[in-house]
Amino acid sequence: MSVEVKNITKKFGNFAALDHVNLKVESGELVALLGPSGSGKTTLLRVIAGLEFPDSKDSQVLFYGEDVTKIPASQRKAGFAFQHYALFRHLSVFENIAFGLRVRPKALRPPESKIRERVGELLKLIQLEPFGKRYPAQLSGGQRQRVALARALAVEPKVLLLDEPFGALDAKVRKELRRWLRKLHQEIHITTLFVTHDQEEALEVADRVAILRDGQIEQIGTPEEIYDHPASPFVYDFLGNVNLFSGRVHEGAVEIGESKFHVPETAGETESDAVAFVRPHDVRITREANGQKTFPARVVRCNAAGPVANLDLERLDGRGQFSAQLSKEEFQQLQPKVGEQVFVELKNVKIFSEDFSI
Amino acid sequence: MTDEEKINAPRRMTEPPFMRRLLIFTALAFIGLFLVIPLVSVFAEAFRQGVGYYFHTLRDPYTVNAIELTLIAAGISVPLNCLFGVCAAWTIAKFDFPGKSILLTLIDLPFSISPVISGLIYVLVFGAQGWFGPWLLPHHIHIIFAVPGIVLATIFVTFPFVARELIPLMQAQGRTEEEAARVLGASGWQTFWRVTLPNIKWGLLYGVILCNARAMGEFGAVSVVSGHIQGKTNTIPLHVQILYEGNDFTGAFAVASLLTFLALVTLVLKSWIEFKHVGIGGIFPLPIVSNRDKQT
Amino acid sequence: MPTQHGGKIRVLPGFKLTLGYTLLYLSLIVVIPLAATFAKSTELSWAQFSHTISSPQAMAAYRLSFGASFFAAVINALFGSIVAWVLVRYEFSGKRFMDALVDLPFALPTAVAGITLATLYAPNGWIGRWLAPLGIQVSYTRLGIFVALTFIGLPFVVRTVQPVLADMDPEIEEAAASLGANRWQTIWRIVLPALSPALLTGFALAFARALGEYGSVVFISSNIPMKTQIVPLLIMSELDSFEYAKATALAVVMLVVSFALLLTINLLQWWSNRHNATEFA
Repeated sequence: MSVEVKNITKKFGNFAALDHVNLKVESGELVALLGPSGSGKTTLLRVIAGLEFPDSKDSQVLFYGEDVTKIPASQRKAGFAFQHYALFRHLSVFENIAFGLRVRPKALRPPESKIRERVGELLKLIQLEPFGKRYPAQLSGGQRQRVALARALAVEPKVLLLDEPFGALDAKVRKELRRWLRKLHQEIHITTLFVTHDQEEALEVADRVAILRDGQIEQIGTPEEIYDHPASPFVYDFLGNVNLFSGRVHEGAVEIGESKFHVPETAGETESDAVAFVRPHDVRITREANGQKTFPARVVRCNAAGPVANLDLERLDGRGQFSAQLSKEEFQQLQPKVGEQVFVELKNVKIFSEDFSI
Repeated sequence: MTDEEKINAPRRMTEPPFMRRLLIFTALAFIGLFLVIPLVSVFAEAFRQGVGYYFHTLRDPYTVNAIELTLIAAGISVPLNCLFGVCAAWTIAKFDFPGKSILLTLIDLPFSISPVISGLIYVLVFGAQGWFGPWLLPHHIHIIFAVPGIVLATIFVTFPFVARELIPLMQAQGRTEEEAARVLGASGWQTFWRVTLPNIKWGLLYGVILCNARAMGEFGAVSVVSGHIQGKTNTIPLHVQILYEGNDFTGAFAVASLLTFLALVTLVLKSWIEFKHVGIGGIFPLPIVSNRDKQT
Repeated sequence: MPTQHGGKIRVLPGFKLTLGYTLLYLSLIVVIPLAATFAKSTELSWAQFSHTISSPQAMAAYRLSFGASFFAAVINALFGSIVAWVLVRYEFSGKRFMDALVDLPFALPTAVAGITLATLYAPNGWIGRWLAPLGIQVSYTRLGIFVALTFIGLPFVVRTVQPVLADMDPEIEEAAASLGANRWQTIWRIVLPALSPALLTGFALAFARALGEYGSVVFISSNIPMKTQIVPLLIMSELDSFEYAKATALAVVMLVVSFALLLTINLLQWWSNRHNATEFA
């Protein structure tokens, strides 16, 4: 267990940023802290780094079993990359990376030649070898982020903490840097936690994803686990687009209008009103009715720009609109027209028995 | 209007040429009347009786004494207010605590108080009728009508300069660079010397220049606490007054030209720093509105 | 090493040290001497106090101080806005020089300003000699006080309005024009309201500065009680005749006015910041 937090509570005024949070991260794991703004994810990262301190006495932060709760940031040996990089603007790229080595007490400070060597290695690792003499202002956003990472790695941290590492970058650079981070992690295999509000990023990069909401961890698991088996409507909604269908749960199925869809998890539950959650790509569209397995709807809008086609549909019983995502081939075969009536089949219907609020 | 003129027309919307010229003329006339003519006349009056008399006045022992005392007063008050400014800015910009806006207002206070009252308050503390007067007198400690009083009054009137230059600057810079330094293992002093100070050095210099100009030029407050004894408790501005009231107008302007020269140097340095480092600035007391760092 | 939980551990060091030093220095230099002033004023009975602060000489001084400061601030608001406008919006030779020179009254010691203005506006001075034939006397009159107060307050409006004007989004004016407003309407109904908090702040700062001014006025005014004596000069003359209690009473009145003005300026600044912030929200 390389990083473990126990029972972390942190309040800012009356606002509980973290509410009894527990989290364990294995050695070498890459974990994403995912959540909307205000969910406490950055606060949790800062508590782990020693930049914030938990309120309650029984809160604990452990690095490799050692209690570091009361150890200040400067002695924790946690590498931290800030959201807006926090590069020292008056220092060159080289000196930024060397900073953590230069400020060590004399006895522990490596000799100048070692520092140069280490910084050289890191510049190579971040593919910015010719840029050592430049200043942060002369770098692009993506380059700055890589310098921030190298600076954090220079001190050979026990864990690497990244706050919204791609948050301030444009879409294309984001994707490149994401892949680069994944590759880097495979090379150096350092325990890493990163904060993001982008579910795609979390699902793509992380070994495990922890979803936070209102200062609590709502669910934690591998990307597949949380995507396929979301623990709550919140998680389901946060991980992607969603259609809501109100209907009734009855005998292991949900009834939407005249049609019935199989939902095995609800078997044994008593008959009640329920809301069914269906992802747009799990909405199938056909021209023929198929008894109780389909219900009719009208096409409101088609948009086939991009790799997939998006359709907006309206239930004929007037109980709301929903959207469907079709592959290009499906769309070309079907060729739906606006105003046309089609039949809808739902797959992977999910029912949450508790609250429906998202 | 030709096509070319249309293309080259300024992007911003503007007024008709006549109106523009009228406004520019008005501004130039106002500045000329109130600033340029007085500035030129200082030097014209100073040399009215020739270069010889000018330097004769400047070499006069009383003038030399006044210059010395002014340098002493500025030499003590500027470093002290500098230290205070850095401490106040660090505590206000880097930490959250209740009562911050009251503290900011108190720091601004000396700016809004009349110089005469700035001197008076020290008379009321250290003067013969003041709080500590009855104790100071038998111990032969002279503060009022002596050099310490002049230094104290100078400290008071220049009190906010460095602080109010640094506070908004350090607030704008936030604390992440310092936090980054801490996470990388830097000690408190290392964080300050290696990260904070390089970031604020131009703002600090700016504050020091303004602080110094006021320290050397203060008249009202110093006038109240000074004994007006030539050669002992006379600063340059007080010496100007003595010469002027003694009807040595040319002498008064000769000494005044020193202070005017100092003012011009101050303006040049100030403009240079502003030019080099956009974002630094604010020569006078605009209240600083406390903005807490936002956290997600 | 920090030993306590919660907010008592701070990431950045030196909080107690710097706050402690800040409070100590602030108390010694500012708070205690000011408290002494208020304490000293209590040595007078209420009757004596009110008699001192409402004597005919004091009342005349208040009228002159407030009146001259007000008119000087009005002139500065008007011409300062024009200077700020010209500096931000137009290009002309000598602009950088003019921009730098605006701060001269901050940098020039008030005593120098005083003797210079007194000499310039004396009947035989560079400016005074042109005014004398018209029967206008400036130096040693109330007009002279007004001139000195205008000089020392000159930078305030310029320096408060200038940045706001520079930050103003040109699209706002373009939007007004596209909606059919002419240039005058655009300036009057769009630009000026946006500038008004800054303009008022500058006005209040210039007014506050003028109210306390001593150095420049002492030379250009003849300092005759009831006629050309502003409040700081009255305080000074009480001090010169060792009337400490009277001087203190008058100082307390001025301090209260200063605090009220400081509060007003703070509120104006807060309003101004909010006003500007909403433009970007």
